[in-house]
Amino acid sequence: MTEVETRIAVNPGRVEWAGDNPGIYLRESPDGPWTGLGIFFRVLFSEYGQGSAMIILGDPQNAQGFPDARNLCITTNSELTQYLVQDFVSRFPSFRSQPALEAMTWLEAESHLSDGDMKTSWTETMTASGCEAKMHWAHLGEPFAVEVTPKDCATGIHDMYSVFLEARSASICLNGESLSGNVCERVFFGREMSTAFLAVSETWVLPSAT
Amino acid sequence: MPLSSPIHPGQVVWTGENPGILLKEDPDGPFSAIALFFRIYLSPKGRGTVLLLLDSPEEQRTFPDGCNVLLHDNKELAEYLLETFILKLPAFAALPACESLSLIPMEECRSEGDPRVRYSEIIKAHSLEIELVWDGLGTPTALELPAELTGGKENELYTLLIESTNPSIHINGQRLSGSPVERVQAGIKTTTAFLYFSETWIRPA
Repeated sequence: MTEVETRIAVNPGRVEWAGDNPGIYLRESPDGPWTGLGIFFRVLFSEYGQGSAMIILGDPQNAQGFPDARNLCITTNSELTQYLVQDFVSRFPSFRSQPALEAMTWLEAESHLSDGDMKTSWTETMTASGCEAKMHWAHLGEPFAVEVTPKDCATGIHDMYSVFLEARSASICLNGESLSGNVCERVFFGREMSTAFLAVSETWVLPSAT
Repeated sequence: MPLSSPIHPGQVVWTGENPGILLKEDPDGPFSAIALFFRIYLSPKGRGTVLLLLDSPEEQRTFPDGCNVLLHDNKELAEYLLETFILKLPAFAALPACESLSLIPMEECRSEGDPRVRYSEIIKAHSLEIELVWDGLGTPTALELPAELTGGKENELYTLLIESTNPSIHINGQRLSGSPVERVQAGIKTTTAFLYFSETWIRPA
């Protein structure tokens, strides 16, 4: 394949982090605002060490934290998660204008469990004092690899490698109650795809200054 | 970077972690000990953890006389990786130890440490307690290799390389002899001890 053969084998940029980064974005109507946003991080390598974090914005347009609103972040590594929120999540188009992102309550994780086979379904569960947050992906599609430059990257400034699996159905639960809304279609690099996805084996690289 | 489209047209074969340690007692001699670890998130044979461990790569010594073993928590996956990946690497296919591997179920596996400094995988199986240690870890580098720059020359590869200058393999508390040696990957001078995270093999379209 000519494009691959002419690519540069060694990315000269600085590796920011590597790990998994699946998400679920829910809407009550296809043209309406997001009604529930969930994103999970399992970081194997970063400047701030390893860790896992789950960010749930059940009331994305409400500038209040949990339990007044369903907006929270559960983390095993606060320093890492602050970096991820500031440099990545706050740049993601679905999250960046949401008042809940700044107002969400930060909770220290008491436990974290991954479950599933990644062929049919997958679940991430994190618990903190007084809270259990669960993200569930089902009806998974075939995996495909992506390689994006800053032009197409969700942050607008990184190179990113990943493996994606589309989920045709998904749910976000807080203390056993599902957030309202459904997964919907979006155009993802020219392909129609659900707004629920697994994203594993990611590497984010800050390109070198030219 | 970049592809003509962000979505790679090829088929994902497997993705996961694939760190390894290859040691020599004599820099000009054969490898004296080898450990190749797999934590697979997604493959045609499902998920699982596999360790190829050779304490005497140049000998056909079956376990327990020797410790040339393939430890696993998914036998089908272990056999798949052996056939389609490990034995496709010329350096492994020629090893006598690979002709007499003992497949042994794994009882426990966990990682410890920090891949910025020192990282380890600890595996228990049968009467074996194995610790793989990557110390003296370097700066990570993202690689995107066309098939011709990979060992098997069949599939393309995305991976994150973190080299180790001070690795060790321990079996039941005994450190295997040997040191890593220099190797060149995609034009980079590195060592025969490495962490590979976010590793994805892709069959070209």
